[in-house]
Amino acid sequence: MADVALRSVTKEFPGGTLALDDLSLDIPDGEFLILVGPSGCGKTTALRLIAGLDKPTSGQISIGGQVVNGVSPRDRDIAMVFQNYALYPHMTVQRNLGFGLKERRTPKREIERRVGEIAAILSLGELMKRRPAQLSGGQRQRVAMGRALVREPKVFLLDEPLSNLDAKLRVQMRAELKRLHQKLGITTVYVTHDQVEAMTLADRIVVMSAGRALQTGPPQVVYSRPANLFVAGFIGSPAMNLLSGRADGSQVVAGQLAFSRAGVPGGDVVVGIRPESLGPASDGRPSLELEVDLVEPLGEVALVHGTVAGAAVQSGAEEEKEILAAPASRAPVTAIFTAADQPAPGDRVRVGVAADRIHLFDLATGAAIR
Amino acid sequence: MRIRRILQSDHLSGWAFAFPAVFLIFVFGIVPVVWSALLSFQHTNLLAPPQWIGTANYRALARDPLFRQSVVHSLVYTALFVPLSVAGGLLVAIALNRRIRGVRFYRTAVFVPVVLSTIATAIMFLWLLDPDFGLVNFLLSKVGLGPYGFFDSASGALYSIVGMTVWGWIGFDVIIYLAALQGIPPSLVEAAEIDGARTWGMFRHITLPLLGPATLFLVVWSSINALQLFDEIYFLTNGGPGTATYVVVYYLFSLAFQQGVAGYAAAIAYVLMIAILSLTVVQLWVGRRLVYYAS
Amino acid sequence: MTGQTTAASRGAASRRAGERDRGQFLFSRWHLILIPVAAAMLIPMIWMLVTSVETLNETRHFPPDLLPHTVRLRNYSDVLLHAPFARWFVNTVIVTVVSVAGNLLFCSLAGYAFARIKFFGREVVFVAILATLMIPFQVVMIPTFIIVKDLGMINTLGALIVPNLAGAFGIFLLRQFFRTLPVELEEAARIDGASRLGVLFKIILPLSGPALATLAVITFLWTWNDFLWPLITISSADNMTLQLGLTTFQGTHQTSTNLLMAANVMSVLPVLLLFFLAQRFFIRGIASTGLKG
Repeated sequence: MADVALRSVTKEFPGGTLALDDLSLDIPDGEFLILVGPSGCGKTTALRLIAGLDKPTSGQISIGGQVVNGVSPRDRDIAMVFQNYALYPHMTVQRNLGFGLKERRTPKREIERRVGEIAAILSLGELMKRRPAQLSGGQRQRVAMGRALVREPKVFLLDEPLSNLDAKLRVQMRAELKRLHQKLGITTVYVTHDQVEAMTLADRIVVMSAGRALQTGPPQVVYSRPANLFVAGFIGSPAMNLLSGRADGSQVVAGQLAFSRAGVPGGDVVVGIRPESLGPASDGRPSLELEVDLVEPLGEVALVHGTVAGAAVQSGAEEEKEILAAPASRAPVTAIFTAADQPAPGDRVRVGVAADRIHLFDLATGAAIR
Repeated sequence: MRIRRILQSDHLSGWAFAFPAVFLIFVFGIVPVVWSALLSFQHTNLLAPPQWIGTANYRALARDPLFRQSVVHSLVYTALFVPLSVAGGLLVAIALNRRIRGVRFYRTAVFVPVVLSTIATAIMFLWLLDPDFGLVNFLLSKVGLGPYGFFDSASGALYSIVGMTVWGWIGFDVIIYLAALQGIPPSLVEAAEIDGARTWGMFRHITLPLLGPATLFLVVWSSINALQLFDEIYFLTNGGPGTATYVVVYYLFSLAFQQGVAGYAAAIAYVLMIAILSLTVVQLWVGRRLVYYAS
Repeated sequence: MTGQTTAASRGAASRRAGERDRGQFLFSRWHLILIPVAAAMLIPMIWMLVTSVETLNETRHFPPDLLPHTVRLRNYSDVLLHAPFARWFVNTVIVTVVSVAGNLLFCSLAGYAFARIKFFGREVVFVAILATLMIPFQVVMIPTFIIVKDLGMINTLGALIVPNLAGAFGIFLLRQFFRTLPVELEEAARIDGASRLGVLFKIILPLSGPALATLAVITFLWTWNDFLWPLITISSADNMTLQLGLTTFQGTHQTSTNLLMAANVMSVLPVLLLFFLAQRFFIRGIASTGLKG
């Protein structure tokens, strides 16, 4: 069990790609930390540096208080689960689990004890004599985790371990992972691009983009108080609505929406409202008119997509450009209604939001304005 | 109506497409195999009409001392050539599978001998190993060894040929092994590293098993080729000195095309084929038990 | 980067498959193996080259001079005077080019048929063809000789060309390759109105560049270097191929090692040239023999 620290770590690949840009992180012992961000943000690179599979161009990496920059992976007492599991295809599950211990000259009886224990925890008992090719995706995943845990490592690293599983299995394994962490308490660094995974599993998340950490904190904090536009647009699904607006010191106006907010320097701002905060208008709350063009029913609730007067702002976390863009004078907005209240395409409805749920960001820097 | 349907049918077009190649292979591949079997039961010199003599050729083979010698030489050659070229190829492939300065140059240097013909290589080595003026004897004399007769010595000729053919073929093994090495998923290697595998452990438990299919292929392929050794013997030693380098195919050739004893030669050819097939089957059977194949 | 390893670290890992690389790229201990091996590979060829430009007296010098005193390029033209080398060269070119063309054509046709057309007896015939790959040439050569003799082609280039116009290897290689192309392409073309032949020549073959190049290169190499079959079928010097001719060159000019080396260099040059131009396909072709194994 150990803490992990990254100090001003930079990684530049030959060819000039800057994968990590002066990243610093402190991960206390026993924490479940998740690095989350879009493809290419550097999260996997950071994980590999902690593992020792790559070396940082500059900066320090410490495990358990000791600098490990020059230490090879096998001597760092870490374990890793790869995205494609990397199980030894020519070995049985039993040998796969025991391989690391055997290479470290662990006594045979100890290997048997530990392998048995892990097999029990992960329900691998019946699979011991099988080869990876004979296992299902979920079983392989468990074996991969077992192989890592059987070594009782100080740090547990996971690289998108759930992304190869189908949706239902993924949800189930997520819960299993959380239970395992509660039981074993090993310092865990986990990489994913799926922000739902990040929100549900982590003690703290680090939102990364272009090699930098944009915000670090407990999921709930990152969700409710995003530090900048990118984080606001990345965390939360469906994504936060972002409108361009203007502040004058006491009031903020964005299209039809107007609300009072004191202490905001005059100038251009970005107004952000999460779809889950935007519902049927009620008295006393700021509101604006939504022209509905698409409704997605989701059982208890419905996602209502439409446009409002005003201009939209990009957060930088968008995955794809929209194929059919909204007309130039209007901004696309998504709100959430209960199934009972859902409007129909073509309707004009008034949607409202609690004033304290409106986020403000500086248009130039993207930083949150509190 | 039916005629037109048949004419447009896949059966006709399929056969039309396949016919030229299939016909050629039939005439020059399949027919000769059967014919060879027939020949082996005949006595013929390829000019006069053949006579049927039953299994006389095969029985004569069993008693033929020159045949026995040829078989021994072929087996000795194979037993030396295969391990040397396969193990050597593995070592060189591992060395080449790195990003070090000039690796492309080294790779090319190792590959080039493979494209040279047997004769070109033999001519080169004939001169290189010349007893009087050869470069190798010169270099050996610098360390106080030699001079050696190489191809002219009864004891050394076969070994010299082993050395020469390993030189010519090791690049082939290197190519196969390099492709196989590069096919090992990097995440497997990384997982093993994190698990704690050291150099030897990594090689023995990860690399070597995963190279199993390539090794099996190379052993089978090299054995098949080694048992068919001919060109170098014909050109460099003519089976000599004496009969020191008589190998099965050389004996076969001399019987059929120099002495006009084609039936007997056909019998030898059949025995050779059965030997090759048997050896291949045994190697594949052993291989299946030892080698892990990715699903 | 998502969960995929980057190309840089992928290379690093595959190197570590053999051993832990201490990260030295300029001079690592592997050079201790590579340098001697490369030297062993290159020295015979360099020595041949050096000898090929020496005078006769220099070749008879012991200890041998490592660098020639004179560079006698006339050796190369002398070769043409001492033996019908030019004839041999032309013969070899003809046989090789026609064999390559034949293989490309006939194996494409057959390979396509085996890959995509369901016809009566297809499986049986294919297995029979594959089986011929297992048969050593020595079993086949005596009867083939008789056949060629009965066709009156003995001692002509026809004997070298006709039996090698199509081979099982080419059929196998191309069939496997064609099967990797999406069937939908052909179906779309046939709906658009193309005949089977048209589909083969206008859709399949243009997409088969690498496989065809590989087959061409392998056939070229094998035909150019072939020795045993020309030895059996060709008896007069004018009809010989290079490999065969070289062995007779040695006989009539036992002591002119410099000329022999020059002749050898010239016989090897086309193959080397092709190798350097088409290295990729050579290597792919050689590696593909491993796939069928």
